[in-house]
Amino acid sequence: MMQFLKNIYNWIDVRLGTHEIITEKRTGYLLPRNINAWYSLGSVLLVIFALQVITGLLLMLYYVPDIDKAFDSVSFIMTEIPLGRLVRLFHAVGSSMMLLILLLHMFSILFMGSYKSPRELHWLTGFVLLLLAMGISLTGYLLPWNQLSFWATTVATDCVTSIPFLGDRIVELLRGGKQVGSHTIGRFYTLHVGLLPAVIAVLIGIHLFLIQRTGVSTPPFGLEDSKNQWKGETFEYEEHPGGVPFFPNFFLQDMISISLYLACFMLFVFFFPDMFIPSISYVPANPLVTPSHIKPEWYFLANYQTLKLFPSEIIGLTVQAVAMAFLAFLPFIDRGAEKHPLKRPLFTVSALGGILLWIGMTLWGYYS
Amino acid sequence: MSIASRFEISDRGYVVEEELMDESRRKFINSCLGGVAALAVTGFAAVSYPVARYYLVPPDDNKSKGKTRIPLNAIAPGSAKFFEFNGTAAVLVRKQDGTLTALSAVCPHLGCIVQWQTEQQDFLCPCHAGYFTADGAVISGPPPQALSKIPFTVVNGVVTIG
Amino acid sequence: MRGWRIILMLLALGVMPAIEARAAAPQVIVCIQCHAALQGRLSLPVRLWQNSIHSEHGIACNACHGGDPMNSVNSMNPANGFRGVPPPTSVPALCGGCHMGITAYYTNSAHGRTLGQGGPTCVTCHGSHDIVSASLSLINKKNCSVCHTFDKALMIRKAMVKTDGMLKAIEKKITVLRSQGIETDPLEKKLFSLRNRFHAMFHSLDVTLIRKESAHIQAEIEKSNGAGGAGTGHLVGVLAVGWALLAALLFSLIKKNID
Repeated sequence: MMQFLKNIYNWIDVRLGTHEIITEKRTGYLLPRNINAWYSLGSVLLVIFALQVITGLLLMLYYVPDIDKAFDSVSFIMTEIPLGRLVRLFHAVGSSMMLLILLLHMFSILFMGSYKSPRELHWLTGFVLLLLAMGISLTGYLLPWNQLSFWATTVATDCVTSIPFLGDRIVELLRGGKQVGSHTIGRFYTLHVGLLPAVIAVLIGIHLFLIQRTGVSTPPFGLEDSKNQWKGETFEYEEHPGGVPFFPNFFLQDMISISLYLACFMLFVFFFPDMFIPSISYVPANPLVTPSHIKPEWYFLANYQTLKLFPSEIIGLTVQAVAMAFLAFLPFIDRGAEKHPLKRPLFTVSALGGILLWIGMTLWGYYS
Repeated sequence: MSIASRFEISDRGYVVEEELMDESRRKFINSCLGGVAALAVTGFAAVSYPVARYYLVPPDDNKSKGKTRIPLNAIAPGSAKFFEFNGTAAVLVRKQDGTLTALSAVCPHLGCIVQWQTEQQDFLCPCHAGYFTADGAVISGPPPQALSKIPFTVVNGVVTIG
Repeated sequence: MRGWRIILMLLALGVMPAIEARAAAPQVIVCIQCHAALQGRLSLPVRLWQNSIHSEHGIACNACHGGDPMNSVNSMNPANGFRGVPPPTSVPALCGGCHMGITAYYTNSAHGRTLGQGGPTCVTCHGSHDIVSASLSLINKKNCSVCHTFDKALMIRKAMVKTDGMLKAIEKKITVLRSQGIETDPLEKKLFSLRNRFHAMFHSLDVTLIRKESAHIQAEIEKSNGAGGAGTGHLVGVLAVGWALLAALLFSLIKKNID
């Protein structure tokens, strides 16, 4: 048996030189000695994305994107198909998990200063991935066509009307009509299952390529000099001589993080599903009745609450746009060399302040 | 390619195998790996079974499982009535002399649905021009066998098929 | 650049009250438009009605008083069906027009026999404008000892307490099941019909009948109690989480020994 596998391996190797690549990746791919578990969140995100695609494809087998049939098709999946309920829960809980782990990944990059030169593009692609993840969650949300879906989408798209001159026309483009209706579901479905996953996959590919190309950044912890060493004159791969080999050492760390994530994930799916699918999700959409206490999903609560604070919609939107722009272009704004969070207090305090503000607005949005 | 040893080129150009760890450790790691492999297999099995059931379930969509009833006066002599039976197309023929036959309307050649030709009082399959008599026997064309018969009863002027 | 549109779209999930007000503002009927602005007893019915279950379900003034709710000129015109304050004798038939199955019980009951002679009609216990969802609390000393002693009413109430409790329990259970994604429509319909039957037959005021019917209804509820449940789900959940934790443990043991 072993000989047979070795023969196959050899057959591929003499044609494609795979042995060279594998050995290089195994022994040649060295990671900084002081690497930590936060660096494995990226692989966790890959697993989440893969799970979302698989469960999404399974859901597509029975879901019908038509306003008269959508809700019933989802009920059908939940009640008639064996284990359909599990597949749907995996998908719904997974989308929240995707955003949660994304935020954790982003915070770890912020605090370890991994966004600094030469990794501005890594940060930018990651930021776009965040936006795409929010977009794919929003579009997916409409598809079950329940009261929550319908009204959350109506509100989300309504706010675009506050954009001067073009607002109304943009909303019509988004919705495929003046109100959320049968054309909206078609558009959102196409985005959700076709365009956005493909774009996300491509961007993940680019993001990973960039990381491989520049090399992994050195964490600032446990180092005498935690400053960014990059000179900026020529391209330089960040070597980690005497570092930890990716395989098997950090590969195992990836596996540990993925297993722990799966444990948490399945804990939620099996024991606390109603945290993610409140009972109003089981009421079919009714364009004539807005339910009281309708709120967006947790990851949008901060934005929702912020908007409620500002008297004018357009000011509220602009404030948030500016905040997001600041975050997006952070590597161009923060040109400091220091990476250790405790050695750059201005950044750390601002970042912590921003995160606390976001958490505060989220909680406020939840309880109000 | 073992994680328990490393191959190095010594100064004299020989490949030297260096033991990186002792036997007990290596055994322990191997048993852990065995455990991981077991988990992987059970995990895969635990997932593929439900996914297979999910995928393979044929959802019932209002297929008339039971009997179909057709009143005799709904079908004139010399005509045929097509209906759905157990998920496929079927036909009830009432010949000129009044006799009834219930047949599957699916052509045994490649599955197209046959059509009744009133002038010729026979069936024609539109896909490859297979011809059948009103009793379903093959007259000409590619069909390898006759249209299969379906049992039926007639009670009080109502034909019950199935 | 696509990102900006998405940002704007996504970040602006707010101004809910404004949107809600814009989206769900029904046209206010003329009765309310006028009477809400009047003083004292002429606007009292509007205020009472606004907290009622009728108002929640869109049953407004013209449902009982007739008249044209869209046209102020004809709103109180008898030619347009306006009835004014319905006389007590017409109340059971009026309410019975929508609330099926109760009028017969009422008419044949001791209360029904006193109709027109000062006896209670529907509005005596349920109110005319501030009507709330019917419950056992309507059978109380204040309501039921105006004409006779409270003891008989109390006996009837006691006969209904158990069934009432069971109906409430099923309602809670349905909410829980629904939040777990289980299809509760048939159960909800069953609950609705059982509860209606239960409330309707009270109006007979016949203790024996009430006891018998309650027993039937309880048996029906028991039958539905088997529905739903997440027993095996939890077992599978424990296995799944355990599997993942075991994997994490094994990987960390391997890693510890390699580093």
